[in-house]
Amino acid sequence: MQISSGGATHVGMVRTNNEDCFRIVSPLNLFVLADGMGGEAHGEVASALAVETVVKHCIEGGENPSAPLLGEAKPGLTPKSRRLLSAIHLANQKVFQSAEEHPEQQGMGATLTAAWIDGPQLSVGHVGDSRVYLLRTGQLQQLTSDHSLVAEQVRRGLLTATEAEQSNLQSVLLRALGTQAQVEVDVEEVGLFPGDVLLLCSDGLTRMVTEPEIAGTLQAEPIPQSAAEKLVQLANESGGIDNVTVIVVSFRPEPKGWFSWLRRGAQKSEGGNGSAGGK
Amino acid sequence: MAKLSLMFEEKLVKEVPVGSRPVRIGRSPDNDLVVDNLAVSNDHARVYFEAGRLVVEDRGSLNGTFVNDLRVERATLHDGDSIWVGKHHIKVDATGDAPLPYESGRKTTAPMINETMVLDTKVRRDMLQQAAAMGERTQFAAGRIRVPTIVVLSGRTDAKEYVLTNKLTTIGKSAMATIKLRGWFKPQMAAQINQRDDGYYIGSGDKIPIVNGVAIPGPTRLNDGDLVELSGVRLNFIVRE
Repeated sequence: MQISSGGATHVGMVRTNNEDCFRIVSPLNLFVLADGMGGEAHGEVASALAVETVVKHCIEGGENPSAPLLGEAKPGLTPKSRRLLSAIHLANQKVFQSAEEHPEQQGMGATLTAAWIDGPQLSVGHVGDSRVYLLRTGQLQQLTSDHSLVAEQVRRGLLTATEAEQSNLQSVLLRALGTQAQVEVDVEEVGLFPGDVLLLCSDGLTRMVTEPEIAGTLQAEPIPQSAAEKLVQLANESGGIDNVTVIVVSFRPEPKGWFSWLRRGAQKSEGGNGSAGGK
Repeated sequence: MAKLSLMFEEKLVKEVPVGSRPVRIGRSPDNDLVVDNLAVSNDHARVYFEAGRLVVEDRGSLNGTFVNDLRVERATLHDGDSIWVGKHHIKVDATGDAPLPYESGRKTTAPMINETMVLDTKVRRDMLQQAAAMGERTQFAAGRIRVPTIVVLSGRTDAKEYVLTNKLTTIGKSAMATIKLRGWFKPQMAAQINQRDDGYYIGSGDKIPIVNGVAIPGPTRLNDGDLVELSGVRLNFIVRE
């Protein structure tokens, strides 16, 4: 499968600093996004540290597959999922330690959402309320559960999904990176099909833009970078109350024949290659 | 106090008040409102107060619960509404007050929290408990372990039963599918089931699934006992406890 990706981040229309951070590591097909919290610019520290740690640990794991793994080994997971799980546990430790060592950073933390693609197999690692969506046959399907109070209330049947969207307590998280010495990390594995589009986003997008609008934009903009920029723009047009960060990854079937082989050369320069920092 | 009147045609069968305990409606004799009709499930629906509002909740019944002709899974009731189960209907008299002393004004007066925050374990427990105080039954529901399962009734698949453990379950011939279809001319990705916070939703893939005899117009929530037909297989969605 051919993978192309793009990402965008924006401070939004209300806030003065951007506490979101993302990285696209094209050679690894690794996509990481974090939304920091904790006042006085410490949210930025937390999200950047979390993203850097995850990326570094995954790269090291790629070079040396026998590098030690952190956290509980869940049975049945692919090596990539185990590495990702370990990376997120390590990121939690690093952010937590940094906050312990620097009293001014007390209370800082971050959400973290990462997607790692290995052939047709997608591994998702997740803590917090940033989200991963899969657009397939026109349907936008969330691959992560929000670790927020309102989402937990919906799961327990105390609130309806609509009531949760209108709640004042949407920003209250039950799990985040770096706030406790240990954290529970969700891992999901999903098989990918040609034509699938993957979306990673911070809550700055999902609070401002509805799922049908997101699905429509992803379908209308086949180039991942334009789709990501368009989604950020939509969030800002709807008020942009929070930082907004979006990564879009699309999977196209491997073209066959010599003509498409020529075209593939041209497409290589078009996609979102290299890594992008989140400022 | 609010009350429910079970009616058959225009005859009153039974009347019950709605107190702090949910009113259970169904065919089995241990219900508060027993509806003796084969179209009604043993545990069909419940009516209770939540945050000062009267709510009806379908218990995953086979033939559904209707409020004024509209099929519902969960709906807020108003005075004069009619709940239909099979050929019976239940008249809603919601003129009484809610028995729970829950102050429904709390939600509107709570300050908007803009800054993202994390609840530490103690605060979190307290807050969830406070939320659960809205209705003890919901806490019971959370305590039970519910295992959503797809049982293959007919057709060729790689297993006879699948427990839905992932956020996304794919049905198709592809090697990437969870529920693998066997045989010629089967679609690679026939349909998909997405776990959301409020339940499991089936959506189309290369085929449009038929749920309980009706082709789905879009992603549709699966209820306990639903029958799904697609690409020559018949599947039963069951929630085991």
